Amino acid sequence: MNRNKMLSSIIVYGILAFITLLCLFPIVWMCLISIKSTSESITGFHSVMVEQPTLDNFRRLFTMIPVWQNTFNSVFTTIMGTVTSLFFCALAGFAFSKYRFPGRTFLFYFVIATMLVPPEVGSVPLFIIMKKVGLINSLWSLVIPRIATAVGIFYMNQYITDVPDELVEAARIDGCSDFGIFMKVILPVIKPAMASWGAITLIARWNDFFWPLLYLRKQAKYTLMVTISLLPVSEGLSTPWPVILSGTTLVIIPIIILYLILEKFQKSGIMEGAVKG
Amino acid sequence: MLKAIKKYKAPYLFILPFFLLFLVFQLIPTVWTLYISLTNWKGIGTPDFCGMDNYKKIAVDNMFWESLGNTVIYWISGLILILCCALLIACLLNSRFLANNTARAFFKTATFLPNVCAAIAMGLIFRMLFDENVGLINEIIALVGISKIPWLTSTTFSKIPVIILNVWRYTPWFTMILLSGLLNISKDYYEAATVDGANSIQQFWFITLPSLKNILFFCSVTLTVDMWKLFNESYILPGPGTSNSSLFQYMYESGFNVFNMGYASAIGVVLILILIVISLIQFVARRRQGEL
Repeated sequence: MNRNKMLSSIIVYGILAFITLLCLFPIVWMCLISIKSTSESITGFHSVMVEQPTLDNFRRLFTMIPVWQNTFNSVFTTIMGTVTSLFFCALAGFAFSKYRFPGRTFLFYFVIATMLVPPEVGSVPLFIIMKKVGLINSLWSLVIPRIATAVGIFYMNQYITDVPDELVEAARIDGCSDFGIFMKVILPVIKPAMASWGAITLIARWNDFFWPLLYLRKQAKYTLMVTISLLPVSEGLSTPWPVILSGTTLVIIPIIILYLILEKFQKSGIMEGAVKG
Repeated sequence: MLKAIKKYKAPYLFILPFFLLFLVFQLIPTVWTLYISLTNWKGIGTPDFCGMDNYKKIAVDNMFWESLGNTVIYWISGLILILCCALLIACLLNSRFLANNTARAFFKTATFLPNVCAAIAMGLIFRMLFDENVGLINEIIALVGISKIPWLTSTTFSKIPVIILNVWRYTPWFTMILLSGLLNISKDYYEAATVDGANSIQQFWFITLPSLKNILFFCSVTLTVDMWKLFNESYILPGPGTSNSSLFQYMYESGFNVFNMGYASAIGVVLILILIVISLIQFVARRRQGEL
């Protein structure tokens, strides 16, 4: 029996270690190549050996594309998008979970149902609408349409439902306004949920590619992701691989570090409490 | 009605932003797409009404059918591979043989990281990994005696890197969702089953799977939408010509590269119809099983 248990443990650890290797290898490999000098071989197994680590690829990248400008664009849309989305999704989630207003169930299922047809399918008229309101080539075009998202409202609703009703009632008896209850009672209690959903939104917005490609049509307004996607063709198809991978490193490593930091603030796992069987 | 609105002013006001945005950025564009699809609008000038012409063109357009076929391949392979991998990893992370909590936390974080990485950046990395001549993948399979495979330049193989990238990036997300479901299953069930002499496989089949039914359904519905709007992965790993193009990508290119807005909108309408039909089938099948 004991030997069986040992064997099972070894198998579980073994498979997990193998999966972890598959998950981390492309990321580590990318970092290694990004610090290789262009004269070193990047073929096959030679690619994992770094003989002369250098930052030349990054320097070259900065001369090829407006990295600072594009990074600012990405940071701006990511942060504005996350902050507004967190606030308005929590607000709507609060309304759905703590008020019994007429039409509540119907409206809630309606919100869920809107997830089944993604807004991307209407991108032709969306482009026209954005043009009419003058948001083409504006960073706000990435923020405004997603101020309140269905999936965010769903997540917040699940979490706020677990906040005891007594807390809300007590605040109301004390003469707190509805918005006051949200700001002073609900927001402080749901901090772990905000951290989890904040992390998810940050990642999604940073990695956003389709919408910036559609709405931002000049290089000064590109987000980092759009610029990176153009790297292979930006020197007429002859951009060296180490330079391209230094670009992807610039995109991937900061968000991984941010995720690892935010993970510390989450009390429990990222989806715990949100999905109930 | 008015009285109710007055009494519940606050909650209605709180949910208003969503519905306003839905109206402007989702409902109106959807209806508008329907209208543009009946015209031959080219992006400038006034649109001329041309009835069902765009749909007739779609019916005989090989590019359309090819990209539809590609999307179905991405969708089905994604559903099977991603959900199976996610289920496997979630069960391993929740396994009682993984006794050390530090190790568990490490594996949990490490296996989630692919989901943090941008599809565009990973696509570029995959281009190099799967390169026919300098790629690491061909070097590794050469060790077991397989000759070089033209991953990105042959129509036979070019979809495989896209599928692998999908599995690599989407699995962690569903692992997290399934893991939270696993944590909600009472340990008592497993203890009772162990007392009755059920082995691990029986426990998985008769306790774990039935308990996860709702969550698996939720996962398959959201994954279906994700796969039908697939764009980044096939855009950055294009394969030869248009061989990897997804339906949504074909729509984007018809609209914004060729400026055939009417035709692009018609493809958009077909996509909307397909998504609605798939959702209906999923929910009806679910209801028939007595759930929901």
